[in-house]
Amino acid sequence: MERPVFQPVGTPVEELDTPAMVVDLDVMEANIARFHTSMDSTGDSAGGGSRIKVRPHVSCHQCPQIAHLQLAAANPGGGIAVNTVGEAEVFAGAGFNDILISRPVAGRPKIARLCALAQSRRISVVVDDARHVDSLSAAASTAGATLGILVEVDAGSGGSGVAMGADAATLAKNVSDAPGLRLDGLMASLPDLSGPDLSGRRDGPEAPGAVPENELKARLKELVETSRLLEQQRASAPVVSVAASGFDDIAGVPGITEIQVGSYALMDHAHCLVRPDYSPAAMILASVISHPTEGSAVVDAGHKATGPDLGLPVLADSDGAKAVRFSAEHGVLELEPSAYSRFMPGGKVWLVPFDLELSLNQYDYIRAVRKGKLEGFWPIAARGRFS
Amino acid sequence: MDNRYRPTPGTLLEDLDTPCLILDMDAVDHNMDVMAEYYAGRTAKLRPHGKNHKTPALAHRQIRRGGTVGGVCSAKVSEAEVMVDGGVPSVFITSEVAGNQKIDRLCTLAGQAEMLVACDDAANAKNLSNAASARGVELGVVVEMETGLKRCGVQDIPQGVELAKVIHSLPGLKFRGIMSHQVIPDMPHREDRVTEGRRVIQQVIDLKDAIVAAGVPVEIVSTGETWSYDVAAEIPGVTEIQGGSYLVMETGYGFMTDFHYAGKVLTTIISTPRSGTAIGDAGLKTISALRGLPTVEGRPGITAESIDANRIVFHLDEGTELHIGDQLLLLPSQQDATVSRWDSFVGVRGGVVEAVWDIQARGCHS
Repeated sequence: MERPVFQPVGTPVEELDTPAMVVDLDVMEANIARFHTSMDSTGDSAGGGSRIKVRPHVSCHQCPQIAHLQLAAANPGGGIAVNTVGEAEVFAGAGFNDILISRPVAGRPKIARLCALAQSRRISVVVDDARHVDSLSAAASTAGATLGILVEVDAGSGGSGVAMGADAATLAKNVSDAPGLRLDGLMASLPDLSGPDLSGRRDGPEAPGAVPENELKARLKELVETSRLLEQQRASAPVVSVAASGFDDIAGVPGITEIQVGSYALMDHAHCLVRPDYSPAAMILASVISHPTEGSAVVDAGHKATGPDLGLPVLADSDGAKAVRFSAEHGVLELEPSAYSRFMPGGKVWLVPFDLELSLNQYDYIRAVRKGKLEGFWPIAARGRFS
Repeated sequence: MDNRYRPTPGTLLEDLDTPCLILDMDAVDHNMDVMAEYYAGRTAKLRPHGKNHKTPALAHRQIRRGGTVGGVCSAKVSEAEVMVDGGVPSVFITSEVAGNQKIDRLCTLAGQAEMLVACDDAANAKNLSNAASARGVELGVVVEMETGLKRCGVQDIPQGVELAKVIHSLPGLKFRGIMSHQVIPDMPHREDRVTEGRRVIQQVIDLKDAIVAAGVPVEIVSTGETWSYDVAAEIPGVTEIQGGSYLVMETGYGFMTDFHYAGKVLTTIISTPRSGTAIGDAGLKTISALRGLPTVEGRPGITAESIDANRIVFHLDEGTELHIGDQLLLLPSQQDATVSRWDSFVGVRGGVVEAVWDIQARGCHS
């Protein structure tokens, strides 16, 4: 577990022990307000009559305090999304009553935990296979619980999901006939922001990648059409939920009722590249520990303190300096002559994570800061709840 | 913490909730034996790096098994605090420590255990000296030399000699010696590792000779890592080897066939959406892909194809089938960046859980 020095509230941020995961609350609140307000107006622009509800995907921050702020913002749906049963348990304990597990759940012990949660809360889970339906139905019936079900359809993310159209409709019918289950609707994950292909199989037939916008819209329309297919089969399925990391993709497609998204609150370098109107609220405060040559400095944040699997962090103040190399425990900065004297041992450096979800995964506490002063240590309570 | 998953010893491997970080105890014992036997009759000894497992209980096992100096390395002050709290009697922090607060914590540790710390800068040495003197403790200081990583360290022999003299003269500090660290690409042949190891480590030996010639005694020459465990120790003058990866192992070190894979991530298949594709519940939050995707142990027809934060996608060769609920063991490409994502190790021997250890220094980045 992280062993922070719990400095008192009011401590100037630059005096915090490093490396530290710091969230600027003013920036975060502005990001949350901006996104929820933009979704609040979707009812008009989409022309579909109803607004798209926001279901914050809290796996990207794992922090109940932030999730509460998201649900208090404009146009919440009242629920959150998580990836694992363990995360759902933590958020249920923190007072959240409507939780979607946005990844299929397999294995008897885990399904039993899911049903235990569903006895006192509105719990829903994703399926993409008749075997999921059978095992969930059997367990829910035994436990006397009701599980909400979203049928996941494949929208090209390269991940899970049943084919759109007839296959999805058949599976949905299956769900609506199964005891202990309540068919809520459909969900689809849109392809991720294009990231580095780690497999070296970019040309493979199933390699996921960035999808052109018109193709994306076509897939979303197909999703909505699939949901109408369910209605014709008298399988009531009011929810059409889309998990989207590029979070403007769904605007203008009528029939979508819900968006699962999380990155807008804290942002990161990758998301700011495509949405420069949002600002990074979470940054890593690091210290220079060595200035071995005039042109380089070494900081105390390496792989373990930044989680750079999807991309390297960047310096917030990149004037004359660049973060060029990271190893397990160290980050190496390259300095131009103008910056030589600014990076001496003991000095502080701000790093913007490339992918925040993986950076937060390395910490147990967010240092919540406003106007340069510490407001508190917020537990990243669901960190490590992988199962 | 409170209701975190923690299987009871005696649980069968196939009954474990997933994803789960497994430590194959036969492999751990084998890896420790290789080191203990190699170092048994030699002057140079191993100082296992604790940054790889971050677990005092495993550090004690390494020390008890033999072949070590009787202490460990740590990368950070907070990690060293966990080791000292856990009863490890000697800790060498192999990074430079800057900032008054952190130096003060280091001095607190020096009152409880033998502490060594790396240094590459005279101003930093003076800060260490001031703090140690004020606290009435003695800090062991080791000069780091840069030998190719382009990271921390003095750049050449004159700089190293100068810094050694400064440290030697400062109150509260005891100049203990010098260190270097180096990484290499795949080198399966021992002759190549010998050539490369001798080439880089000779610079450290030259520095040692120069410091001694300047009248400052050098007690410790600390260098080497898993790839050079049997190279560095045979270079006259080297006294300590900083190996760590050998314990848990990783496919990135697959060329070091003396050691067995001990650290594995158990994953469950949660979806089989298309023929030839299966999806597991272990994503990047649980396994590092910094040096490539993980390898599936013992299942040649199954290849990791892509990974995101929360799931991994497998490609299945024709004729290979996976079903929802099936479990696979994944071998990470990099172990310490994988271990640092987990709160506990589940030690398994012969398919049965033997023990569960909290990875107490996980998250100790400071």
